[in-house]
Amino acid sequence: MSNVLRPYLAAVRSTLAAALTLENFPSQVVERHNKPEVEVGGSKEVLLNPLTISRNENERVLIEPSVNSIRVSIKIKQADEIERILCHKFTRFLMQRAESFIVLRRKPIKGYDISFLITNAHTESMLKHKIVDFIIQFMEDVDREISEMKLSLNARARTVAESYLTAFSA
Amino acid sequence: MVAPEVYNVSQSPITSHAFNADRTQVAVSLNTNEVQILSRSGLDWTPTETLSEHDKIVTSIDWAPNSNRIVTASQDRNAYVWQQASDPLTGRLVWKPTLVLLRINRAATFVRWSPFEDKFAVASGARAIAICSFDPDNNWWVAKQLKKPIRSTVLSVDWHPNNVLLAAGSADMKARVFSAYIKDVDKRPPPSVWGEKLPFNTVCGEYSSPSGGWVHSVGFSPSGDVLAFASHDSTINVVYPGGPAVYTIRSNSLPYISLTWTSEDAIVAAGHDCQPVLFSGGPSGWQAAGSLDDTTAPKSSVGARGGFTGSSPVGRLNSAAFNTFRNADSRGLGSSHGGGTPLATDTELFTVHQNTITNIRPYDGAPGAVSRVSTSGVDGKLVIWSVNAVSGLGTKLKALRVG
Amino acid sequence: MNFNFRKIDVDAYDEDVLLETELYDPDPRGPQQVIEDAKAKAASVRTSLAKGDNLGALVTILDNPPYGPNVEEAKNLTLQTVVTVLNSTKATDIPNVVRSLPPEAQDTLMKYLYKGMSLPGWGDVSGSVLLGWHEKLTEVAGTGCIVRAMTDRRLL
Repeated sequence: MSNVLRPYLAAVRSTLAAALTLENFPSQVVERHNKPEVEVGGSKEVLLNPLTISRNENERVLIEPSVNSIRVSIKIKQADEIERILCHKFTRFLMQRAESFIVLRRKPIKGYDISFLITNAHTESMLKHKIVDFIIQFMEDVDREISEMKLSLNARARTVAESYLTAFSA
Repeated sequence: MVAPEVYNVSQSPITSHAFNADRTQVAVSLNTNEVQILSRSGLDWTPTETLSEHDKIVTSIDWAPNSNRIVTASQDRNAYVWQQASDPLTGRLVWKPTLVLLRINRAATFVRWSPFEDKFAVASGARAIAICSFDPDNNWWVAKQLKKPIRSTVLSVDWHPNNVLLAAGSADMKARVFSAYIKDVDKRPPPSVWGEKLPFNTVCGEYSSPSGGWVHSVGFSPSGDVLAFASHDSTINVVYPGGPAVYTIRSNSLPYISLTWTSEDAIVAAGHDCQPVLFSGGPSGWQAAGSLDDTTAPKSSVGARGGFTGSSPVGRLNSAAFNTFRNADSRGLGSSHGGGTPLATDTELFTVHQNTITNIRPYDGAPGAVSRVSTSGVDGKLVIWSVNAVSGLGTKLKALRVG
Repeated sequence: MNFNFRKIDVDAYDEDVLLETELYDPDPRGPQQVIEDAKAKAASVRTSLAKGDNLGALVTILDNPPYGPNVEEAKNLTLQTVVTVLNSTKATDIPNVVRSLPPEAQDTLMKYLYKGMSLPGWGDVSGSVLLGWHEKLTEVAGTGCIVRAMTDRRLL
């Protein structure tokens, strides 16, 4: 339903804007260290409540904020087996090249397809609203990419089947 | 209206800044382990000296106006006190460091000189505050630690005008008032609303915001009878210890991380919203009065997007971003190829600061009647604002164009 | 001395660490009182909805919500009641209702919206309805309301 897409993305945008209030926070556990607290998870007081924004059961975004980092995990809509395979391959491709994405995490959180880790170092060197724009853009594009891939896959399968079976027609 | 003075000091974030007594020099830390002293030359600030003694990023600097000493604290668990002395070789005045033995085993996050400049307080991640005073016998600075009942990193401290009481905000969501009375350094303070007969490490009060949230900044009013603190749940709380109560000002925008009192009934706070906001009130109540940043004035490039930290706190959803999504939804125009205007015009925010403001300090005026404040932020800008130039909050963004 | 002393998680034995339960003040009412309050409010909400007074119903149910451990039944009942009120409000009425809510109720409503969205198939929860409310509530209460939903440890 495309009329739910707009409030869904708006909700993700405003929640990300509220969560990207990061600051430099030296580790309380290890001296002279500075780690993303959402990944360490040791000190409960510097972690904030994780928030979920969901459109339906199959599409969710989980945002786990903390004092110096946030983790954004996205579950992409996968309606059938083909889309599941395509999504898995596509996200695997992206995650293997996570270094060039800077904010991408190499492994998704359990239950989700892809995860981002944004730290205070990223918000210091990049504009916060552009990071949010990037994530929203990514969410829109991924759905479109997977549908396009599925269409082209089906088209190729049809062409192959036709050309194979014409050999058997009289 | 007096426009704010904007100085683009660097491309990297300014972690902390401190002006000297006559505002001709400023000490800044540019997210590195060095402190740069900048001197005013004409309309700009030029670096004149670099103080490098720390191993890790310098988190906080304070410059004592009367005794002309600088104290710096860093994530390497150390603090140094710098004094100007003549260099024996060249005869010029250089800054000489003295190490302070803080005895903390985690990073130091914040440091402030006391009003009489004989002590200073260092907040740290070791769940303690080190109160340092000078020991003339051994010619070094010694520290006594305030530990109980702090349960997490202390994020900010502020001294009471009587030189004994200290307010501290920490990541365990509480703002506390301690007594930092050191026997041989302080004289017994007169009784105040916070209590009397206060030995070292007495807790005179513990406050928190109703919806929790780390306390980013604390401040005593000029008289010392009122405490204000900014916490991460986007509220400013003002505490009157004798009564009536604690006033919580909820804000619709992102949290504030630094505040300063400009007079007994006005506070200026700044934070993730990228603009300083004035709050005014008294014992009967407090409310937001307006922003010091006039965001309706045309800036160099009119952004097509308001940016989520623009001045219109909630009208943002009525802005170009909303329209872009509406286009995407109804007409199938993706934001990547919509319109013809490149999206490069929307990278600037409408506020003067382009990223979070991390420090706000009084610049001009006596402690009870501050007329100008200085702010520094993650965008590397140092801006001096006039406190009287207040414009309404939630002013609409004019002439929005869909990108 | 047969145990793996090298594999002991030292940090788990640290007594100084703050626990989750110490981060907020517990509910002053006892669990029994909480569940009775929840049932009384649910009944009052049903009558308000029958009269068509959605705003009054919402104000009642958002006042003093149950939170913390041990009150699961009250929490589920309150969530179901909130979802019923949200589903039964017409889309054109939502902006007015949201604007007339007191600030604490707006914060509590935001917390319930997120709680509802984290349980997408539960009861009557409908993603599109919750998203519609979220959009209107953010327009009125701003991102500050979302920040408060993140920092408030009194989990509903």
